[in-house]
Amino acid sequence: MSGRRILITGVGSSIGCTLASALERDPGVEDVVGIDTRTPPAALERTEIVDADIRNPVISKVVPQAQVDTVVHNQIVRFPSAGMSPRAMHDINVIGTLQLLAACERSDSIRTIVIRGSAGIYGAEPHAPQFFREDLTRLFALRTRFQRDVAEIENYFQTFARRRPGITCSVLRYQPAIGPSLDTQITRYLSLPVVPTYLGFDPRLQFIHESDALGALLAAVRRPVRGAVNVAGPGTIGLVRMVRLAGKPVLPTAPPLFGAVTGAAQRAGLLSFSDDFRRLLRYGRGVDIRRLVDEVGFRPRFSTPEAVTDYLAKQQGRRLVPSLQRAVSPA
Amino acid sequence: MTTETGTRPAWEEPPAEEAAAFGIGPGLRRLREGLDAGLELPDALARGAAALPREACEALRRAGRRIEGRYHEDEWGFDEDFAETIRPFFDFLYDRWWRVRVGGVHHVPSHGRALLVANHAGILPWDATMMTVALLREHPLPRYPRFLVLNWAFDLPWISVVLRRVGGVVASPYNALRLLEQDELVAAFPEGVKGTGKPFSERYRLQRFGRGGFVEIALRSGAPIVPVAVVGSEEIYPKIGESSLLARVTGAPFFPLTPTFPWLGPLGVVPLPSRWRIEFCEPIETGSFGPGAADDRTLVFELSERVRETIQEGVYENLVKRGPAFV
Repeated sequence: MSGRRILITGVGSSIGCTLASALERDPGVEDVVGIDTRTPPAALERTEIVDADIRNPVISKVVPQAQVDTVVHNQIVRFPSAGMSPRAMHDINVIGTLQLLAACERSDSIRTIVIRGSAGIYGAEPHAPQFFREDLTRLFALRTRFQRDVAEIENYFQTFARRRPGITCSVLRYQPAIGPSLDTQITRYLSLPVVPTYLGFDPRLQFIHESDALGALLAAVRRPVRGAVNVAGPGTIGLVRMVRLAGKPVLPTAPPLFGAVTGAAQRAGLLSFSDDFRRLLRYGRGVDIRRLVDEVGFRPRFSTPEAVTDYLAKQQGRRLVPSLQRAVSPA
Repeated sequence: MTTETGTRPAWEEPPAEEAAAFGIGPGLRRLREGLDAGLELPDALARGAAALPREACEALRRAGRRIEGRYHEDEWGFDEDFAETIRPFFDFLYDRWWRVRVGGVHHVPSHGRALLVANHAGILPWDATMMTVALLREHPLPRYPRFLVLNWAFDLPWISVVLRRVGGVVASPYNALRLLEQDELVAAFPEGVKGTGKPFSERYRLQRFGRGGFVEIALRSGAPIVPVAVVGSEEIYPKIGESSLLARVTGAPFFPLTPTFPWLGPLGVVPLPSRWRIEFCEPIETGSFGPGAADDRTLVFELSERVRETIQEGVYENLVKRGPAFV
């Protein structure tokens, strides 16, 4: 039996690139095809890079031609970056996925599709259960644009899975990833000189370490399961505790002023606060990862607090709050 | 599920030997020496503080740990350090303010899962806090119960934070189930808002127990149900009316009017010093029914009614035992 042939979208992202190089080293994988308009951040040896935009209908020729058995859809934009309008983000996420799935329908070699989705589909709610199970997407209204986009993607995917029962369709709902080599909303937020929080709120947050984010994706490609699977480090961390661990002063801001404060940070080019991120900072979110552990067979190496401390330990930034603890107990 | 419990002992640094010497003089001397040695001011100040009495030093060190984020919270946000810190306030309420008497504490299992089901009155969840103190003080193997709190409280600034730190969680069946599966002690108040908002004239009468969701959860997890009768919380805020207009403005499920609230402002929140009795009743086993029994509506209603009657009887009995409400 010949090895697997795998197609990866968004191979120009950090996790897409590391996934490709991990699959290259896997003896069970015969071929890796990467699709992206960006060039991968690191050199790839065996991966065949196709310079194409998944929003473009040309994709419906590329995918069947590649004769792959597995598609990993890794091009979902989680937060707006500089120079990307919310409109473009919506286009890449929804139209891109739609085009990709249409292209997959034309191929008869595909057996597995894995989408790297987002736990953002659950939203961030004050009355939510502390840990969302995969079947609880409909507990609350879809409030933000990103949330609606992710829900739309999953809807298309579900319909696709019903129409093509021979294909194993799997969507991984990722909590935000954190790690020393990532540049995401949360890492930028933690590197602000003064960290604004909602006055009187201390939400429970959950993250996945970058190495586990890759590990979970690899595990899901090797052992795909049908339907949705939550991906996060076990446990949660309080926002205030996390900011204190980062050694940053907290700036508690009354909710009506929060927009003004973060708007200033945004104008200074420090980071962009998406609506989802704002809600996350106010109400937090946790997911239940039993399905990931039991069915996919992947147990994250870093719990959420460990992922945060690992990220912070590898940051070079000077601590702004003098170490009282060290001082009170003289060495 | 792994938590960070394993990393805990690393923060407990041995107390400084120098702390034995005390007085302000040595502290100032150490501060000056520190500055002379080229330390920055905060470091030097803290070094001087090492000459303070041991308790002050310990408190400072604890504050330092908290400022640096080096404290333990579990995945629900329960923070035992914090709970211990505010404990003296609840001890005062327990001993002096409400003079709580407790019975049947041996009915609460000392380990493993169990669901405490209690009557609810008194607008704010003081009854939950007093149940917690009762278990911590009277039980031979004390542990913190986790309690299900009305969702609305989690919209509120500060209150939501404090509630989580002392063991409160959003009243969602998924939370209750997960906590029981983790072998925790969970407290639920099936009367919910109907209980806290009952008029003063019906204060000892239990409201209906919803759809019996708590029984379903107990059946699914095989946790025994321990009915708890609380007497005294009914008198702390005698509700004489409510304002639907203010409820709408504040987003609260109801807005109570008592003889003191909201007329006296924040002072109106001070509860009246009634005398309390808390009775833990004999547990009702659910393990023998099997998890499938949770879908049996008849059984669920039957058990729910049985628990309600047990608590109602417990309330009447303890009312007689307690005697007059305030003296």
